[in-house]
Amino acid sequence: MSAVPTRGLPSLLSGKPLRFAAAALLIINGMFPALWILFTSLKTEAELTVKPITWLPHDPTLSNYMRAFSDQPLHLFLFNSFMVALLSTCLTLFVSVLGAYALARLNLKYRGLILSLIIAVSTFPLVTLLVPLFEIMRALNLLNTWVALVLPYTVLSLPVCTLMLVSFFESIPRDLENAAMIDGCTRLGALFKVVVPLCAPGVFTAGILAFVNAWDEFLLALSFNSSPTLRTLPVGIQLYQGEFAFPWPVISAALVVGIVPVAVLIVIFQERVVSGLTAGGIKG
Amino acid sequence: MTSSTLPMTNDIEKPPAFWMRWLDLNDKALAVLLLAPTAFLLALIIVYPVLRLGYTSFFNLSLTSGLPAEFVGLDNYRLMISDPVFWETTWNTVLITLITVPGALVVGLALALLANLPFRTQWPVRLSLLVPWALPLSFAGLIFAWFFHSEYGVVNDVLNRFGLPGVIWFNSPNWAFAAICLTIIWKTSSFMALIILAGLQTIPRSLYEAADVDGAGRIRQFWEITLPLLKPSIAVGLIFRTITSLQTFDIPYMMTGGGPGTSTQTLAMYIHQNTVSFLDLGYGSALAVVMFALSMCVTAVYLWVIRTKEQD
Repeated sequence: MSAVPTRGLPSLLSGKPLRFAAAALLIINGMFPALWILFTSLKTEAELTVKPITWLPHDPTLSNYMRAFSDQPLHLFLFNSFMVALLSTCLTLFVSVLGAYALARLNLKYRGLILSLIIAVSTFPLVTLLVPLFEIMRALNLLNTWVALVLPYTVLSLPVCTLMLVSFFESIPRDLENAAMIDGCTRLGALFKVVVPLCAPGVFTAGILAFVNAWDEFLLALSFNSSPTLRTLPVGIQLYQGEFAFPWPVISAALVVGIVPVAVLIVIFQERVVSGLTAGGIKG
Repeated sequence: MTSSTLPMTNDIEKPPAFWMRWLDLNDKALAVLLLAPTAFLLALIIVYPVLRLGYTSFFNLSLTSGLPAEFVGLDNYRLMISDPVFWETTWNTVLITLITVPGALVVGLALALLANLPFRTQWPVRLSLLVPWALPLSFAGLIFAWFFHSEYGVVNDVLNRFGLPGVIWFNSPNWAFAAICLTIIWKTSSFMALIILAGLQTIPRSLYEAADVDGAGRIRQFWEITLPLLKPSIAVGLIFRTITSLQTFDIPYMMTGGGPGTSTQTLAMYIHQNTVSFLDLGYGSALAVVMFALSMCVTAVYLWVIRTKEQD
Protein backbone atom coordinates (compact mmCIF):
# COMPACT_ATOMS: atom_id res chain seq x y z
CA MET A 1 0.00 0.00 0.00
CA SER A 2 1.34 3.37 -0.89
CA ALA A 3 1.30 6.17 1.60
CA VAL A 4 0.20 8.65 -1.03
CA PRO A 5 -3.39 9.82 -0.65
CA THR A 6 -5.17 8.14 -3.49
CA ARG A 7 -7.77 9.62 -5.76
CA GLY A 8 -11.13 8.01 -5.41
CA LEU A 9 -11.18 8.18 -1.66
CA PRO A 10 -13.19 10.86 0.02
CA SER A 11 -10.69 13.73 0.10
CA LEU A 12 -11.71 14.54 3.65
CA LEU A 13 -10.49 11.18 4.84
CA SER A 14 -7.20 11.14 2.99
CA GLY A 15 -5.95 14.04 5.11
CA LYS A 16 -3.33 13.08 7.66
CA PRO A 17 -5.20 14.01 10.87
CA LEU A 18 -8.28 12.13 9.80
CA ARG A 19 -6.26 9.13 8.78
CA PHE A 20 -4.78 9.21 12.26
CA ALA A 21 -8.25 9.39 13.80
CA ALA A 22 -9.40 6.44 11.69
CA ALA A 23 -6.42 4.37 12.82
CA ALA A 24 -7.10 5.30 16.44
CA LEU A 25 -10.73 4.27 16.12
CA LEU A 26 -9.84 0.92 14.55
CA ILE A 27 -7.20 0.18 17.16
CA ILE A 28 -9.43 1.10 20.09
CA ASN A 29 -12.25 -1.02 18.69
CA GLY A 30 -9.98 -4.03 18.21
CA MET A 31 -7.70 -3.80 21.20
CA PHE A 32 -9.66 -2.18 24.00
CA PRO A 33 -11.37 -5.32 25.38
CA ALA A 34 -8.10 -7.24 25.47
CA LEU A 35 -6.30 -4.28 27.06
CA TRP A 36 -9.04 -3.81 29.62
CA ILE A 37 -8.75 -7.44 30.67
CA LEU A 38 -4.98 -6.98 30.93
CA PHE A 39 -5.44 -3.93 33.20
CA THR A 40 -8.01 -5.77 35.31
CA SER A 41 -5.67 -8.72 35.74
CA LEU A 42 -3.03 -6.40 37.23
CA LYS A 43 -5.33 -4.79 39.79
CA THR A 44 -5.74 -5.89 43.39
CA GLU A 45 -9.14 -7.04 44.61
CA ALA A 46 -9.27 -3.90 46.79
CA GLU A 47 -8.64 -1.58 43.85
CA LEU A 48 -11.35 -3.28 41.87
CA THR A 49 -14.08 -2.40 44.34
CA VAL A 50 -13.23 1.30 44.53
CA LYS A 51 -15.79 3.68 43.06
CA PRO A 52 -15.49 5.43 40.70
CA ILE A 53 -13.54 2.65 39.05
CA THR A 54 -9.91 3.18 38.10
CA TRP A 55 -8.79 2.64 34.51
CA LEU A 56 -5.07 2.01 34.80
CA PRO A 57 -3.94 -0.21 37.68
CA HIS A 58 -2.51 2.00 40.48
CA ASP A 59 -0.52 -0.65 42.10
CA PRO A 60 0.15 -3.39 39.52
CA THR A 61 0.44 -6.88 40.93
CA LEU A 62 1.11 -10.28 39.44
CA SER A 63 -0.56 -12.14 42.29
CA ASN A 64 -3.70 -12.74 40.21
CA TYR A 65 -1.62 -14.78 37.78
CA MET A 66 -0.33 -16.94 40.66
CA ARG A 67 -3.90 -17.43 41.82
CA ALA A 68 -5.08 -18.24 38.30
CA PHE A 69 -2.69 -21.19 38.29
CA SER A 70 -3.30 -22.25 41.90
CA ASP A 71 -7.11 -21.90 42.13
CA GLN A 72 -7.68 -24.12 39.08
CA PRO A 73 -5.34 -26.39 37.11
CA LEU A 74 -4.84 -23.75 34.43
CA HIS A 75 -1.73 -25.52 33.15
CA LEU A 76 -3.87 -28.60 32.45
CA PHE A 77 -6.49 -26.54 30.62
CA LEU A 78 -3.74 -25.02 28.50
CA PHE A 79 -2.17 -28.41 27.85
CA ASN A 80 -5.48 -30.00 26.83
CA SER A 81 -6.42 -27.08 24.58
CA PHE A 82 -2.98 -27.12 23.00
CA MET A 83 -2.90 -30.86 22.38
CA VAL A 84 -6.44 -31.02 21.02
CA ALA A 85 -5.79 -28.06 18.73
CA LEU A 86 -2.42 -29.41 17.59
CA LEU A 87 -3.67 -32.95 16.92
CA SER A 88 -6.73 -31.78 15.04
CA THR A 89 -4.61 -29.33 13.02
CA CYS A 90 -2.23 -32.11 11.95
CA LEU A 91 -5.07 -34.44 11.08
CA THR A 92 -6.92 -31.68 9.18
CA LEU A 93 -3.82 -30.85 7.16
CA PHE A 94 -3.02 -34.45 6.32
CA VAL A 95 -6.56 -35.27 5.22
CA SER A 96 -7.13 -32.01 3.34
CA VAL A 97 -3.79 -32.16 1.49
CA LEU A 98 -4.72 -35.57 0.09
CA GLY A 99 -8.27 -34.58 -0.80
CA ALA A 100 -7.32 -31.20 -2.25
CA TYR A 101 -4.67 -32.81 -4.42
CA ALA A 102 -7.19 -35.22 -5.90
CA LEU A 103 -9.59 -32.35 -6.59
CA ALA A 104 -6.95 -30.06 -8.05
CA ARG A 105 -4.98 -32.51 -10.19
CA LEU A 106 -6.88 -35.66 -11.07
CA ASN A 107 -9.51 -35.06 -13.67
CA LEU A 108 -12.42 -36.30 -11.66
CA LYS A 109 -15.81 -36.87 -13.20
CA TYR A 110 -17.72 -35.61 -10.17
CA ARG A 111 -15.36 -32.78 -9.25
CA GLY A 112 -18.07 -30.10 -9.29
CA LEU A 113 -20.41 -32.20 -7.19
CA ILE A 114 -17.72 -33.00 -4.62
CA LEU A 115 -16.72 -29.35 -4.37
CA SER A 116 -20.35 -28.30 -3.85
CA LEU A 117 -20.68 -30.93 -1.14
CA ILE A 118 -17.57 -29.66 0.60
CA ILE A 119 -18.85 -26.08 0.43
CA ALA A 120 -22.17 -27.22 1.91
CA VAL A 121 -20.33 -28.99 4.72
CA SER A 122 -18.27 -25.86 5.41
CA THR A 123 -21.42 -24.17 6.67
CA PHE A 124 -22.63 -27.20 8.59
CA PRO A 125 -23.96 -26.42 12.08
CA LEU A 126 -22.06 -28.93 14.19
CA VAL A 127 -24.20 -27.90 17.18
CA THR A 128 -27.16 -29.81 15.77
CA LEU A 129 -25.16 -33.02 15.93
CA LEU A 130 -24.58 -32.66 19.65
CA VAL A 131 -26.89 -35.58 20.49
CA PRO A 132 -25.70 -38.14 17.93
CA LEU A 133 -22.04 -37.21 18.42
CA PHE A 134 -22.54 -37.54 22.16
CA GLU A 135 -24.05 -41.00 21.58
CA ILE A 136 -21.26 -42.05 19.22
CA MET A 137 -18.51 -40.90 21.58
CA ARG A 138 -20.27 -42.62 24.46
CA ALA A 139 -20.63 -45.85 22.50
CA LEU A 140 -16.98 -45.77 21.46
CA ASN A 141 -15.98 -44.96 25.03
CA LEU A 142 -14.36 -41.76 23.86
CA LEU A 143 -16.06 -39.27 26.19
CA ASN A 144 -13.41 -37.47 28.24
CA THR A 145 -10.61 -38.16 25.79
CA TRP A 146 -8.81 -35.83 23.40
CA VAL A 147 -10.07 -37.92 20.47
CA ALA A 148 -13.69 -36.98 21.24
CA LEU A 149 -12.78 -33.40 20.33
CA VAL A 150 -10.03 -33.97 17.76
CA LEU A 151 -12.39 -35.74 15.32
CA PRO A 152 -15.19 -33.13 15.28
CA TYR A 153 -12.70 -30.24 15.24
CA THR A 154 -11.00 -31.80 12.24
CA VAL A 155 -14.32 -31.93 10.42
CA LEU A 156 -14.98 -28.33 11.48
CA SER A 157 -11.89 -27.05 9.64
CA LEU A 158 -11.60 -29.69 6.92
CA PRO A 159 -13.89 -28.07 4.30
CA VAL A 160 -12.32 -24.60 4.45
CA CYS A 161 -8.78 -26.01 4.46
CA THR A 162 -9.54 -28.30 1.53
CA LEU A 163 -11.01 -25.46 -0.53
CA MET A 164 -8.03 -23.25 0.27
CA LEU A 165 -5.54 -25.94 -0.66
CA VAL A 166 -7.34 -26.74 -3.91
CA SER A 167 -6.80 -23.18 -5.08
CA PHE A 168 -3.17 -23.22 -3.90
CA PHE A 169 -2.43 -26.51 -5.68
CA GLU A 170 -4.01 -25.24 -8.87
CA SER A 171 -1.52 -22.37 -8.87
CA ILE A 172 1.50 -24.74 -9.00
CA PRO A 173 2.53 -25.55 -12.59
CA ARG A 174 2.04 -29.18 -13.51
CA ASP A 175 5.43 -29.28 -15.23
CA LEU A 176 7.23 -29.33 -11.91
CA GLU A 177 5.39 -32.43 -10.84
CA ASN A 178 5.80 -34.09 -14.20
CA ALA A 179 9.54 -33.47 -14.00
CA ALA A 180 9.64 -35.12 -10.59
CA MET A 181 7.67 -38.06 -11.90
CA ILE A 182 10.01 -38.51 -14.84
CA ASP A 183 12.81 -38.61 -12.30
CA GLY A 184 11.19 -41.68 -10.83
CA CYS A 185 8.87 -40.19 -8.24
CA THR A 186 5.40 -41.65 -7.89
CA ARG A 187 2.45 -39.30 -7.95
CA LEU A 188 2.21 -39.38 -4.17
CA GLY A 189 5.95 -38.91 -3.93
CA ALA A 190 5.65 -35.85 -6.17
CA LEU A 191 2.81 -34.56 -4.00
CA PHE A 192 4.82 -34.67 -0.78
CA LYS A 193 8.24 -33.84 -2.27
CA VAL A 194 7.26 -31.13 -4.76
CA VAL A 195 3.73 -29.80 -4.40
CA VAL A 196 3.42 -29.54 -0.62
CA PRO A 197 6.80 -27.80 -0.13
CA LEU A 198 5.94 -25.32 -2.89
CA CYS A 199 2.58 -24.68 -1.24
CA ALA A 200 4.09 -24.46 2.24
CA PRO A 201 2.69 -20.97 2.89
CA GLY A 202 -0.80 -22.13 1.95
CA VAL A 203 -0.57 -25.30 3.99
CA PHE A 204 0.72 -23.26 6.90
CA THR A 205 -2.13 -20.74 6.66
CA ALA A 206 -4.68 -23.54 6.56
CA GLY A 207 -2.99 -24.94 9.67
CA ILE A 208 -3.30 -21.65 11.56
CA LEU A 209 -7.01 -21.40 10.74
CA ALA A 210 -7.57 -24.97 11.90
CA PHE A 211 -5.64 -24.30 15.10
CA VAL A 212 -7.60 -21.15 15.94
CA ASN A 213 -10.92 -22.91 15.20
CA ALA A 214 -10.03 -25.71 17.59
CA TRP A 215 -8.68 -23.34 20.24
CA ASP A 216 -11.99 -21.40 20.20
CA GLU A 217 -14.49 -24.24 20.30
CA PHE A 218 -16.62 -24.35 23.44
CA LEU A 219 -19.91 -26.25 23.13
CA LEU A 220 -18.55 -29.70 22.22
CA ALA A 221 -15.70 -29.37 24.71
CA LEU A 222 -18.23 -28.46 27.39
CA SER A 223 -20.47 -31.40 26.50
CA PHE A 224 -17.96 -34.18 25.87
CA ASN A 225 -15.03 -33.50 28.18
CA SER A 226 -16.28 -32.61 31.63
CA SER A 227 -13.71 -34.58 33.59
CA PRO A 228 -11.52 -32.14 35.56
CA THR A 229 -8.27 -33.33 34.01
CA LEU A 230 -9.51 -33.12 30.40
CA ARG A 231 -11.18 -29.73 30.30
CA THR A 232 -10.01 -27.35 27.62
CA LEU A 233 -9.37 -23.67 28.29
CA PRO A 234 -12.81 -22.23 27.40
CA VAL A 235 -14.47 -24.87 29.58
CA GLY A 236 -12.04 -24.49 32.46
CA ILE A 237 -12.11 -20.72 32.51
CA GLN A 238 -15.71 -20.56 33.68
CA LEU A 239 -14.86 -22.55 36.80
CA TYR A 240 -13.17 -19.62 38.52
CA GLN A 241 -16.49 -18.16 39.53
CA GLY A 242 -17.35 -19.27 43.01
CA GLU A 243 -20.90 -19.79 44.16
CA PHE A 244 -21.28 -16.18 45.28
CA ALA A 245 -18.03 -14.48 44.36
CA PHE A 246 -16.80 -13.65 40.90
CA PRO A 247 -13.06 -13.07 41.26
CA TRP A 248 -12.69 -10.84 38.20
CA PRO A 249 -8.95 -10.12 38.53
CA VAL A 250 -8.18 -13.85 38.65
CA ILE A 251 -10.53 -14.62 35.75
CA SER A 252 -8.90 -11.80 33.79
CA ALA A 253 -5.45 -13.22 34.46
CA ALA A 254 -6.58 -16.63 33.24
CA LEU A 255 -8.10 -15.01 30.14
CA VAL A 256 -4.86 -13.18 29.39
CA VAL A 257 -2.94 -16.45 29.69
CA GLY A 258 -5.43 -18.05 27.30
CA ILE A 259 -5.25 -15.21 24.78
CA VAL A 260 -1.44 -15.05 24.59
CA PRO A 261 -0.77 -18.22 22.50
CA VAL A 262 -3.23 -17.27 19.76
CA ALA A 263 -2.18 -13.62 19.93
CA VAL A 264 1.46 -14.60 19.33
CA LEU A 265 0.40 -16.73 16.39
CA ILE A 266 -1.55 -13.95 14.69
CA VAL A 267 1.01 -11.25 15.44
CA ILE A 268 3.71 -13.28 13.69
CA PHE A 269 1.63 -14.56 10.81
CA GLN A 270 -0.93 -11.76 10.41
CA GLU A 271 -0.53 -11.29 6.67
CA ARG A 272 -0.96 -14.97 5.95
CA VAL A 273 -3.94 -15.26 8.26
CA VAL A 274 -5.70 -12.37 6.54
CA SER A 275 -5.07 -13.78 3.07
CA GLY A 276 -6.19 -17.24 4.17
CA LEU A 277 -9.35 -15.97 5.83
CA THR A 278 -10.44 -13.89 2.89
CA ALA A 279 -9.55 -16.59 0.36
CA GLY A 280 -11.54 -19.12 2.34
CA GLY A 281 -14.41 -16.69 2.58
CA ILE A 282 -14.58 -15.53 -0.98
CA LYS A 283 -13.49 -18.53 -2.97
CA GLY A 284 -15.08 -20.93 -0.52
CA MET B 1 29.14 -54.01 -11.71
CA THR B 2 26.46 -56.21 -10.37
CA SER B 3 24.76 -57.72 -13.34
CA SER B 4 25.96 -57.11 -16.84
CA THR B 5 22.79 -58.52 -18.36
CA LEU B 6 20.81 -55.39 -17.54
CA PRO B 7 21.01 -52.38 -19.83
CA MET B 8 22.85 -49.20 -18.84
CA THR B 9 19.60 -47.34 -18.05
CA ASN B 10 19.34 -49.59 -15.04
CA ASP B 11 19.67 -46.60 -12.69
CA ILE B 12 16.61 -44.84 -13.98
CA GLU B 13 14.35 -47.77 -14.65
CA LYS B 14 15.11 -49.50 -11.40
CA PRO B 15 11.77 -51.01 -10.36
CA PRO B 16 10.30 -49.04 -7.47
CA ALA B 17 9.95 -50.67 -4.08
CA PHE B 18 6.91 -52.85 -3.61
CA TRP B 19 4.86 -50.29 -1.66
CA MET B 20 5.73 -47.52 -4.09
CA ARG B 21 4.54 -49.64 -6.97
CA TRP B 22 1.36 -50.30 -5.04
CA LEU B 23 0.83 -46.56 -4.62
CA ASP B 24 1.49 -45.83 -8.29
CA LEU B 25 -2.10 -46.30 -9.33
CA ASN B 26 -4.16 -45.05 -12.17
CA ASP B 27 -6.00 -41.76 -11.69
CA LYS B 28 -9.31 -43.25 -10.71
CA ALA B 29 -7.93 -45.53 -8.02
CA LEU B 30 -5.67 -42.78 -6.76
CA ALA B 31 -8.62 -40.39 -6.47
CA VAL B 32 -10.55 -42.90 -4.41
CA LEU B 33 -7.54 -43.45 -2.19
CA LEU B 34 -6.88 -39.74 -1.70
CA LEU B 35 -10.48 -38.81 -1.00
CA ALA B 36 -11.08 -41.79 1.29
CA PRO B 37 -9.92 -40.10 4.53
CA THR B 38 -12.15 -37.08 3.84
CA ALA B 39 -15.08 -39.33 3.04
CA PHE B 40 -14.48 -41.44 6.15
CA LEU B 41 -14.37 -38.41 8.48
CA LEU B 42 -17.43 -36.80 6.92
CA ALA B 43 -19.32 -40.09 7.12
CA LEU B 44 -18.41 -40.61 10.78
CA ILE B 45 -18.91 -37.06 12.04
CA ILE B 46 -21.63 -35.75 9.71
CA VAL B 47 -23.53 -38.27 7.59
CA TYR B 48 -24.10 -41.00 10.15
CA PRO B 49 -24.90 -38.49 12.94
CA VAL B 50 -27.42 -36.69 10.70
CA LEU B 51 -29.24 -39.96 10.01
CA ARG B 52 -28.99 -40.90 13.65
CA LEU B 53 -30.36 -37.48 14.63
CA GLY B 54 -33.50 -37.94 12.58
CA TYR B 55 -33.92 -41.47 13.93
CA THR B 56 -33.46 -40.53 17.60
CA SER B 57 -35.95 -37.69 17.30
CA PHE B 58 -38.74 -40.28 16.97
CA PHE B 59 -37.76 -42.02 20.20
CA ASN B 60 -38.26 -41.42 23.84
CA LEU B 61 -34.68 -41.77 24.96
CA SER B 62 -33.80 -40.40 28.35
CA LEU B 63 -30.56 -41.50 29.95
CA THR B 64 -31.75 -40.47 33.40
CA SER B 65 -34.65 -42.92 33.39
CA GLY B 66 -32.40 -45.81 32.39
CA LEU B 67 -35.21 -47.23 30.25
CA PRO B 68 -34.47 -48.54 26.76
CA ALA B 69 -35.37 -46.31 23.83
CA GLU B 70 -39.04 -46.43 22.98
CA PHE B 71 -40.50 -45.49 19.61
CA VAL B 72 -42.95 -42.64 20.12
CA GLY B 73 -43.51 -41.40 16.57
CA LEU B 74 -44.01 -37.66 16.44
CA ASP B 75 -44.49 -37.23 20.20
CA ASN B 76 -41.27 -35.24 20.62
CA TYR B 77 -42.38 -32.85 17.90
CA ARG B 78 -45.86 -32.55 19.42
CA LEU B 79 -44.27 -31.79 22.78
CA MET B 80 -42.08 -29.21 21.11
CA ILE B 81 -44.99 -27.35 19.53
CA SER B 82 -46.66 -26.98 22.90
CA ASP B 83 -43.41 -26.12 24.70
CA PRO B 84 -43.26 -22.35 25.34
CA VAL B 85 -39.50 -22.52 26.03
CA PHE B 86 -38.91 -23.98 22.55
CA TRP B 87 -40.75 -21.05 20.99
CA GLU B 88 -39.01 -18.53 23.21
CA THR B 89 -35.52 -19.89 22.51
CA THR B 90 -36.21 -20.12 18.78
CA TRP B 91 -37.53 -16.58 18.75
CA ASN B 92 -34.47 -15.39 20.69
CA THR B 93 -32.20 -17.10 18.14
CA VAL B 94 -34.04 -15.55 15.20
CA LEU B 95 -34.05 -12.14 16.89
CA ILE B 96 -30.32 -12.34 17.59
CA THR B 97 -29.80 -13.16 13.91
CA LEU B 98 -32.04 -10.31 12.74
CA ILE B 99 -30.22 -7.82 14.96
CA THR B 100 -26.59 -8.92 14.89
CA VAL B 101 -26.20 -9.89 11.23
CA PRO B 102 -27.18 -6.48 9.82
CA GLY B 103 -25.41 -4.90 12.81
CA ALA B 104 -22.17 -6.70 12.03
CA LEU B 105 -22.55 -5.78 8.36
CA VAL B 106 -22.91 -2.05 9.06
CA VAL B 107 -20.09 -1.96 11.62
CA GLY B 108 -17.93 -4.24 9.48
CA LEU B 109 -18.45 -2.09 6.40
CA ALA B 110 -17.48 1.02 8.37
CA LEU B 111 -14.38 -0.68 9.77
CA ALA B 112 -13.40 -1.92 6.30
CA LEU B 113 -13.76 1.54 4.75
CA LEU B 114 -11.59 3.00 7.51
CA ALA B 115 -9.02 0.22 7.20
CA ASN B 116 -8.83 0.74 3.44
CA LEU B 117 -7.37 4.23 3.88
CA PRO B 118 -3.77 4.54 2.68
CA PHE B 119 -1.95 4.03 6.00
CA ARG B 120 1.83 4.24 6.07
CA THR B 121 2.10 1.24 8.39
CA GLN B 122 -0.44 -1.47 7.85
CA TRP B 123 0.13 -3.88 10.70
CA PRO B 124 -1.56 -2.06 13.61
CA VAL B 125 -4.76 -1.74 11.62
CA ARG B 126 -4.62 -5.30 10.34
CA LEU B 127 -3.95 -6.61 13.82
CA SER B 128 -6.87 -4.71 15.31
CA LEU B 129 -9.17 -6.45 12.87
CA LEU B 130 -7.62 -9.85 13.59
CA VAL B 131 -7.70 -9.73 17.39
CA PRO B 132 -11.49 -9.77 17.76
CA TRP B 133 -11.68 -12.57 15.20
CA ALA B 134 -9.06 -14.69 16.98
CA LEU B 135 -10.47 -14.12 20.46
CA PRO B 136 -12.54 -17.18 21.41
CA LEU B 137 -16.29 -16.44 21.56
CA SER B 138 -16.43 -17.74 25.11
CA PHE B 139 -13.65 -15.36 26.16
CA ALA B 140 -15.44 -12.46 24.47
CA GLY B 141 -18.58 -13.38 26.44
CA LEU B 142 -16.71 -13.30 29.75
CA ILE B 143 -14.85 -10.10 28.92
CA PHE B 144 -18.06 -8.29 27.99
CA ALA B 145 -19.87 -9.66 31.03
CA TRP B 146 -17.22 -7.77 32.99
CA PHE B 147 -17.64 -4.69 30.75
CA PHE B 148 -21.36 -4.64 31.50
CA HIS B 149 -20.96 -5.33 35.24
CA SER B 150 -23.48 -3.10 37.02
CA GLU B 151 -21.13 -1.91 39.81
CA TYR B 152 -17.61 -1.98 38.45
CA GLY B 153 -18.11 -2.32 34.71
CA VAL B 154 -16.48 0.09 32.31
CA VAL B 155 -19.69 0.62 30.30
CA ASN B 156 -21.58 2.02 33.27
CA ASP B 157 -18.52 4.06 34.20
CA VAL B 158 -18.50 5.71 30.78
CA LEU B 159 -22.27 6.29 30.98
CA ASN B 160 -21.79 7.95 34.38
CA ARG B 161 -19.05 10.18 33.02
CA PHE B 162 -21.52 11.47 30.44
CA GLY B 163 -24.01 12.14 33.21
CA LEU B 164 -26.20 9.18 32.35
CA PRO B 165 -27.37 6.72 35.00
CA GLY B 166 -25.78 3.26 34.96
CA VAL B 167 -27.85 0.28 33.87
CA ILE B 168 -28.21 -2.99 35.78
CA TRP B 169 -27.69 -4.90 32.55
CA PHE B 170 -28.26 -8.49 33.55
CA ASN B 171 -31.36 -8.06 35.72
CA SER B 172 -33.70 -7.04 32.94
CA PRO B 173 -34.44 -9.26 29.93
CA ASN B 174 -34.25 -6.39 27.47
CA TRP B 175 -31.00 -4.89 28.71
CA ALA B 176 -29.42 -8.34 28.97
CA PHE B 177 -30.49 -9.05 25.41
CA ALA B 178 -29.05 -5.73 24.26
CA ALA B 179 -25.74 -6.44 25.99
CA ILE B 180 -25.52 -9.84 24.29
CA CYS B 181 -26.30 -8.38 20.87
CA LEU B 182 -23.70 -5.62 21.27
CA THR B 183 -21.10 -8.20 22.24
CA ILE B 184 -21.90 -10.41 19.25
CA ILE B 185 -21.76 -7.43 16.90
CA TRP B 186 -18.36 -6.42 18.26
CA LYS B 187 -17.02 -9.95 18.05
CA THR B 188 -18.24 -10.69 14.52
CA SER B 189 -17.89 -7.33 12.75
CA SER B 190 -14.13 -7.76 12.37
CA PHE B 191 -14.47 -10.92 10.28
CA MET B 192 -17.03 -9.11 8.16
CA ALA B 193 -14.60 -6.18 7.82
CA LEU B 194 -11.77 -8.48 6.69
CA ILE B 195 -13.95 -10.03 3.97
CA ILE B 196 -15.24 -6.64 2.81
CA LEU B 197 -11.73 -5.18 2.90
CA ALA B 198 -10.51 -7.92 0.57
CA GLY B 199 -13.37 -7.01 -1.76
CA LEU B 200 -12.54 -3.28 -1.55
CA GLN B 201 -8.96 -3.92 -2.57
CA THR B 202 -10.06 -5.54 -5.83
CA ILE B 203 -11.99 -2.47 -7.02
CA PRO B 204 -9.86 -0.80 -9.71
CA ARG B 205 -8.87 2.81 -8.97
CA SER B 206 -9.61 3.74 -12.57
CA LEU B 207 -13.35 3.48 -11.91
CA TYR B 208 -13.15 6.26 -9.34
CA GLU B 209 -10.97 8.34 -11.64
CA ALA B 210 -13.51 8.02 -14.42
CA ALA B 211 -16.28 8.98 -11.99
CA ASP B 212 -14.23 12.03 -10.97
CA VAL B 213 -13.98 13.08 -14.58
CA ASP B 214 -17.74 12.66 -14.95
CA GLY B 215 -18.16 14.88 -11.92
CA ALA B 216 -19.74 12.28 -9.63
CA GLY B 217 -19.41 13.24 -5.96
CA ARG B 218 -17.82 11.06 -3.29
CA ILE B 219 -21.12 9.93 -1.86
CA ARG B 220 -22.50 9.01 -5.26
CA GLN B 221 -19.28 7.11 -5.97
CA PHE B 222 -19.81 5.09 -2.81
CA TRP B 223 -23.39 4.16 -3.70
CA GLU B 224 -22.79 3.58 -7.39
CA ILE B 225 -19.31 2.07 -7.53
CA THR B 226 -18.16 0.81 -4.14
CA LEU B 227 -21.33 -0.80 -2.86
CA PRO B 228 -22.40 -2.61 -6.07
CA LEU B 229 -18.90 -4.02 -6.57
CA LEU B 230 -18.81 -5.19 -2.96
CA LYS B 231 -21.99 -7.21 -3.41
CA PRO B 232 -20.28 -10.63 -3.77
CA SER B 233 -18.11 -10.16 -0.66
CA ILE B 234 -21.05 -8.84 1.32
CA ALA B 235 -23.22 -11.78 0.24
CA VAL B 236 -20.62 -14.31 1.36
CA GLY B 237 -20.09 -12.50 4.65
CA LEU B 238 -23.82 -12.27 5.33
CA ILE B 239 -24.46 -15.94 4.68
CA PHE B 240 -21.57 -17.11 6.86
CA ARG B 241 -22.72 -14.75 9.60
CA THR B 242 -26.34 -15.91 9.37
CA ILE B 243 -25.41 -19.55 9.67
CA THR B 244 -23.11 -19.00 12.65
CA SER B 245 -25.69 -16.72 14.22
CA LEU B 246 -28.30 -19.49 14.20
CA GLN B 247 -25.85 -21.52 16.32
CA THR B 248 -25.27 -18.77 18.90
CA PHE B 249 -24.24 -20.41 22.15
CA ASP B 250 -20.98 -19.27 23.72
CA ILE B 251 -21.66 -15.58 24.29
CA PRO B 252 -25.09 -15.79 25.96
CA TYR B 253 -23.99 -18.87 27.90
CA MET B 254 -21.04 -16.98 29.35
CA MET B 255 -22.81 -13.63 29.85
CA THR B 256 -26.19 -14.56 31.26
CA GLY B 257 -26.48 -18.35 31.23
CA GLY B 258 -29.78 -17.70 29.42
CA GLY B 259 -31.22 -15.54 32.21
CA PRO B 260 -33.00 -13.76 33.65
CA GLY B 261 -35.32 -16.77 33.45
CA THR B 262 -35.07 -18.05 29.90
CA SER B 263 -35.22 -14.58 28.34
CA THR B 264 -31.80 -14.75 26.67
CA GLN B 265 -31.62 -18.50 26.10
CA THR B 266 -30.95 -19.54 22.49
CA LEU B 267 -31.99 -22.69 20.66
CA ALA B 268 -28.44 -24.06 20.84
CA MET B 269 -28.44 -23.51 24.59
CA TYR B 270 -31.78 -25.30 24.92
CA ILE B 271 -30.48 -28.25 22.88
CA HIS B 272 -27.39 -28.39 25.09
CA GLN B 273 -29.52 -28.19 28.25
CA ASN B 274 -31.83 -31.01 27.17
CA THR B 275 -28.97 -33.21 26.00
CA VAL B 276 -26.24 -32.69 28.55
CA SER B 277 -28.11 -31.53 31.66
CA PHE B 278 -31.42 -33.41 31.35
CA LEU B 279 -29.94 -36.26 29.25
CA ASP B 280 -33.20 -36.27 27.27
CA LEU B 281 -31.70 -37.30 23.95
CA GLY B 282 -35.00 -37.80 22.13
CA TYR B 283 -36.27 -34.30 22.77
CA GLY B 284 -32.81 -32.80 22.23
CA SER B 285 -32.71 -34.46 18.80
CA ALA B 286 -36.12 -33.13 17.81
CA LEU B 287 -34.96 -29.61 18.72
CA ALA B 288 -31.77 -30.10 16.74
CA VAL B 289 -33.74 -31.20 13.66
CA VAL B 290 -35.47 -27.81 13.69
CA MET B 291 -32.16 -25.99 13.86
CA PHE B 292 -30.75 -28.22 11.15
CA ALA B 293 -33.67 -27.36 8.87
CA LEU B 294 -33.23 -23.64 9.54
CA SER B 295 -29.56 -23.64 8.62
CA MET B 296 -30.02 -25.92 5.60
CA CYS B 297 -32.30 -23.25 4.16
CA VAL B 298 -29.52 -20.69 4.53
CA THR B 299 -26.94 -23.08 3.04
CA ALA B 300 -29.22 -23.63 0.03
CA VAL B 301 -29.27 -19.88 -0.51
CA TYR B 302 -25.48 -19.86 -0.18
CA LEU B 303 -24.95 -22.55 -2.84
CA TRP B 304 -27.36 -20.72 -5.11
CA VAL B 305 -25.44 -17.44 -4.67
CA ILE B 306 -22.14 -19.19 -5.44
CA ARG B 307 -23.56 -20.79 -8.54
CA THR B 308 -24.92 -17.51 -9.89
CA LYS B 309 -21.57 -15.91 -9.08
CA GLU B 310 -19.75 -18.53 -11.13
CA GLN B 311 -22.10 -18.02 -14.05
CA ASP B 312 -21.42 -14.27 -14.10
